[in-house]
Amino acid sequence: MAEFVQLLFNGLVTGSILAMAAVGVSLVYGVLRLVNFAAGDFMTLGAFIAVFLSVSEGWPLVAAVVVAIVGIAALGLGLDWLLWRRLRDSKAGTLALFLVATGVALILRQSILMIFSSGSRKFSINETATFSFLGANIATSQLIVLLLSSSAIVTLGLFMAKSTIGKDMRAFSDNASLAAVSGINVNKVVRYVWIINGILSALAGIFQGMVQGRFDSTMGWTLLLPIFAAVVLGTIGDAYGALLGGMTLGLVMELSTWHVLFGGIPSSYKPVVAFATLGIVLLVKPEGLLGVKARSI
Amino acid sequence: MTAFLQPGFWVFVVLMAGVYCIFALGLQVQYGLGGILNFGHVAMMALSSYTMAILVITYNWNLYLACFAGVVMAGLGGAFLGLTTLRLRGDYFSIVSIAFSEIVRYIIHNSDHLTGGSQGSLNIPSSKGYASYTDSFNKVLANIQDKIKPIFGSFASRDMALLLIVWLTAIILLVIMSYIQRTSWARVLRATREDDDVPASLGKNVFLFRLSSVIVGSVIGGIAGIYWALEFSILDPADFQTIVTFFAWMVIILGGATKVKGVPLGALFFGFLYAGTRFFQFPPFTWFDSVQRAYLRVMIIGFVLIFLMLKRPQGIFGKREEMVLE
Repeated sequence: MAEFVQLLFNGLVTGSILAMAAVGVSLVYGVLRLVNFAAGDFMTLGAFIAVFLSVSEGWPLVAAVVVAIVGIAALGLGLDWLLWRRLRDSKAGTLALFLVATGVALILRQSILMIFSSGSRKFSINETATFSFLGANIATSQLIVLLLSSSAIVTLGLFMAKSTIGKDMRAFSDNASLAAVSGINVNKVVRYVWIINGILSALAGIFQGMVQGRFDSTMGWTLLLPIFAAVVLGTIGDAYGALLGGMTLGLVMELSTWHVLFGGIPSSYKPVVAFATLGIVLLVKPEGLLGVKARSI
Repeated sequence: MTAFLQPGFWVFVVLMAGVYCIFALGLQVQYGLGGILNFGHVAMMALSSYTMAILVITYNWNLYLACFAGVVMAGLGGAFLGLTTLRLRGDYFSIVSIAFSEIVRYIIHNSDHLTGGSQGSLNIPSSKGYASYTDSFNKVLANIQDKIKPIFGSFASRDMALLLIVWLTAIILLVIMSYIQRTSWARVLRATREDDDVPASLGKNVFLFRLSSVIVGSVIGGIAGIYWALEFSILDPADFQTIVTFFAWMVIILGGATKVKGVPLGALFFGFLYAGTRFFQFPPFTWFDSVQRAYLRVMIIGFVLIFLMLKRPQGIFGKREEMVLE
């Protein structure tokens, strides 16, 4: 029982981090039709900026986090101005978008290595502090991360549901040309997508770094596959679906190591579990969890 | 600077360009004909090379039989990938194919008793007490070395012997490929690239055509994996990271996306570009130390990819019209 509670809790923490990152990827895809391969590296960069400012430069953690968020949002806007805008204008195909995104991911990862060197980093938080809950030992840092990330998710959900720009974004993902015809300002939507993506990626990266303890420049890339699995699981381009997909995969990945289930799957196979889950869901429901079957004409 | 003047290094560069040429030809069958965006192609190299190494080292198979089995395994890998995911939409397939290659790498990395795990092929369980799969092949290469000595003189190295075999294979595959281009199979595939409904309305099973092109491409990728394994004599799961797939994509883009004849040119261009970055020993590159320069090399690949897609998406030898139709 204690093991189950522990894994359930880990699953909620992993799930909420995955969900945040997955919503960012899904929004970017929904509005820009861009599969953002650099999403993982956005997260890593956010975590590195925050850890550099707070640990090496001695800034207060909150200030460091804010600067990291602003930095990643600016990075997204800058790349859009530099690359994606041009590719949209020239009506570039899927392959061009994929390859440019990969190029960006490579450059970001190598830049992190060059600027911050290859060693692993750690936030100056006490991750050994634990409290006991239903027999399980739960790290206080994990609880704080879970509370913060779930409030970020709820805020985002409300923003998407209630605000005009949130509605515009959802309209745009559903049907871009219809949205444009009905007078939605495309450029404004695109800008907001990159800003929200910046907030979500930076926070997800920082939270993952805190939960993990030590992290290096490959942190984001390792998470990218479960993030993509979450996005596809929840129907690509659907922000609420990505939330659901992220939480589901987080729980499934952690609970798969529970020894009651066939002795538990070795934890190094967690990413495999994420994709096996995705595979099974797609076989049953090829349009994803929240997807609607396309009408055949 | 010393390596720059050593012919042996450039023999290695041309040899690797040949391996990349074969590897990229596999992708070319899938993308150039069927328009399939496979980003997990490196898995086929991993499957064929590891299957071959395990059969030779653990089960004492004959090398050639083991190579054949390795290529068959790559084909089966392609069949598995295609059967499970090809019914998905294009962008879903691309994402899942990356995952497929990463999962193959994860499994190789974590199956110590079968694949040697993170320590690579040196750790594959062996009855002979040492894990080498190139013993019999090295004798063949030594024979070829003797035969080509009169022609190549001091250049007749092990790499040179393998280079000849690799490029001979590449040329044979190129000839077969340009023949295949004219078959009805290729015509239907090209039709499925533009549109699903037209070939379907003519009674063609679009899914089967796509599946067969993924399998054929995977088999060719598997052949590249065998040569990769024979060149390096040891395997490491870290050799088969996703970036290798993108090297092949770069070869294809450089060669002009839908042009089979462009692939060898693209591969040579890429080979020299990637190797050439070693010799950036002048400012601004000398501002960085050698570790940072290693990071810079991969970064340059990223910049070239972006530059090509922005400025010349049809590659050096390609036609623009064929790229726009996606």
